Amino acid sequence: MFKRKDRRVLDERLDQMGREMVRAAGMSEEQAAAAASSPFLYARVRARIAAERGRQAETNAPLSAMLAIAWRAIPAMTLAAAAAASMFWYASVRSMEPVALSDETFFDARRAGMERVVFADTSGLSRDDVLGTLVSQEEQRPSQR
Amino acid sequence: MDESAGNFDLATAEPLAQAADEPADLALVAAACAGDEAAFEQLFERHRQRVARVAGRFFQRRDQVEEVIQESFTKAYFALNDYSGERGSSFAAWISRIAINVCYDELRRMRRRPTFAISDITDEEATWLNVRLTQEGAGSDIEAEAIARDLASKLLARLSADDRLVLTLLDAEGLSVAEIAEQTGWSVPKVKVRAHRARRALRSVLRKFL
Repeated sequence: MFKRKDRRVLDERLDQMGREMVRAAGMSEEQAAAAASSPFLYARVRARIAAERGRQAETNAPLSAMLAIAWRAIPAMTLAAAAAASMFWYASVRSMEPVALSDETFFDARRAGMERVVFADTSGLSRDDVLGTLVSQEEQRPSQR
Repeated sequence: MDESAGNFDLATAEPLAQAADEPADLALVAAACAGDEAAFEQLFERHRQRVARVAGRFFQRRDQVEEVIQESFTKAYFALNDYSGERGSSFAAWISRIAINVCYDELRRMRRRPTFAISDITDEEATWLNVRLTQEGAGSDIEAEAIARDLASKLLARLSADDRLVLTLLDAEGLSVAEIAEQTGWSVPKVKVRAHRARRALRSVLRKFL
């Protein structure tokens, strides 16, 4: 029990000494006031602010450069995308339109060598001409039977 | 609060000398945010003594205190937009909080690059400490104060930055646990635990000189 009490007394003394040490580790009010009144202190603060601003600007430079590029690239890309979309739309609309019948459609003149030569000088057959030819052929068949 | 400190309550601190016709801190902050350099200079002039006193609790060297003043006001400048007077916190309390954080950072930096080792304590200092610890009411004079000052720096260098911060705010600044929690942003239980551990650590450092 005495040991415990001795220990507590010692701890209290150590704590007291510790408090004194902590207080002694600082500077007096007068010294602190003198430090606060150092010449050019505000000028040094301003210089530090300017340096920090410069550092921040340097840090943000790549980001701002990327933003500037994006700022210019986005409208250009949008324009290109719009042009591509409109061309695609125009092409799809055109493919839906009925294609006019031509000689080549019926006779596949691209592959037929002779016919191509034969029909080279003739004017293009109209749909009525073709229809008339077919009908007349049909009419001739029963008469032959 | 500690009488010997003769200081101010950090939590509700008001500017030391603010004449009635001078603009309030809040107005100066608003002007500084709008780019008025003179307003910021006025804030600096008004509060630099306060920041110096906070730094003076932690450091003995004048250059360290000047460094804390510069760093604190630089940080404050870039954080002016974040400062909100509506929350009931005065600019004085706000700048004190920044100063404490800067001191804390400096303590951590010092801890990484220790200036003193326990072996740096001279025989004279060790004897003086032993006498002070073993003899009740050992006299204090100017010489003893000088020894204590040097010795204190060497002994406290053994503590972690957290321990030193808590002990300084408790014993030198005279703040309560709740006030320390507010100033540091730590929770009240954390401050209590830190204070307990810091006292134990300091005790073990001092016990070596018995």
